[in-house]
Amino acid sequence: MVSQETVLEALRTVNDPEMPINIVDLGIVDAVRIEPGADASGSRVVVEILPTFVGCPALPWIENDVRKRLGAMPGVTEIDVHFRFDPPWTVDRISPAGRESLREFGVTVPQRRDHCEPETQTPQCPFCGSSQVHLESSFGPTRCRMIYYCESCRNPFEHLKRIPVPVLFD
Amino acid sequence: MHELNDVARKALIQLLLAVADDKLMLGHRNADWTGLAPILEEDIAFSSLAQDELAHASALYQFVADLTHSQADRLAFGRKPGEYRCAQIVELSDDFNWATALCRSFFCDHFEALRLERLARSSYTPIAQLAARLLAEEQVHVQHVDSWMHRLGRGDDDANHRMQEALDGLAPLAPMLFEPTESQELLEREMIYPQSEPAMFDRWSQNLLEVARDAGLTLSLQRPTAKIIGGRRGVHGPAFPAALDEMTEVYRVEPEAAW
Repeated sequence: MVSQETVLEALRTVNDPEMPINIVDLGIVDAVRIEPGADASGSRVVVEILPTFVGCPALPWIENDVRKRLGAMPGVTEIDVHFRFDPPWTVDRISPAGRESLREFGVTVPQRRDHCEPETQTPQCPFCGSSQVHLESSFGPTRCRMIYYCESCRNPFEHLKRIPVPVLFD
Repeated sequence: MHELNDVARKALIQLLLAVADDKLMLGHRNADWTGLAPILEEDIAFSSLAQDELAHASALYQFVADLTHSQADRLAFGRKPGEYRCAQIVELSDDFNWATALCRSFFCDHFEALRLERLARSSYTPIAQLAARLLAEEQVHVQHVDSWMHRLGRGDDDANHRMQEALDGLAPLAPMLFEPTESQELLEREMIYPQSEPAMFDRWSQNLLEVARDAGLTLSLQRPTAKIIGGRRGVHGPAFPAALDEMTEVYRVEPEAAW
């Protein structure tokens, strides 16, 4: 029997191709819908995904993995993967488990915060926990990451970017 | 609003092609700096910025492709020169002059952020949603280029002089970014591309003048004349054919290839 839970469970085995975090913990799976398939014997699964960055090159890989994984589920006959930007993805959508697996990998995530709070927290070094860190470059190996340097253990590490969602006045 | 009539759709396509073509060309130009930027951090930065621009262009071409039942790759690389809608300032080579590359981004990124802000308030929801997301990323570009205007404008005499020279060289071309695309006034009237308050040119020049002043640079900008027939109507500068040729070289080998 195909259900939201079993689909989400399957999606938890789909990883971001560039970081050890699954797409559910990354918070990019915004909705899963189960609908009757064209032929009555199976189900159509619709997965709505929020890209972290516009045109992120990982998206085709993710879509492909999602299709492969869900296609292997008994009872699934059709799969629709949609990408949309509303609501926008933010780093606050990353689950606590996801944050932990990124930290172990050496990538820190900005602290969760309310929309209006200014960004004041500097990250703690994922290797030694020190707060003696400085921003080395606002750009990094991928468009969603920047580079910090830890002055205590002298390691560079990566920090996910918080892209402020613009507040539009009317 | 989720439906466009034929006239509005055609006008929106022209506008979005202008946005996408500017970004494609700027991304192409910025990518020239990969491996060659003056310091490693800027090498990474310019490569990331170029990747952003190309990704934005790609999302916009896909949007237009969905409106026209065409293909994004064909729109990006398969049109005739006269069908491109980019402004002349993004077509120029910077001749590997770092000051020129920064000043070009300075004019273009500020312009882009304001244009996307208008689109993000569009009555046509699908483009408003995409533009809001693009705008968020574009604001990072503006911060980046502004910080370099300060750093070099307030650097030593040589740095200041080179920045001033680059700024002076590009300032006459920059206002042509504002040339309207075909039937743009219809999009403005129907709030598909709502006017900003104060008007976009005033906000743009005010933002630029403020940054330039803080950076110890002088800048004067001419309000664009009503009738420029330039890039937005497919009339391009002398640098464009060669740039397009280079950019489409791989595509032309095998237009139907899947990547």
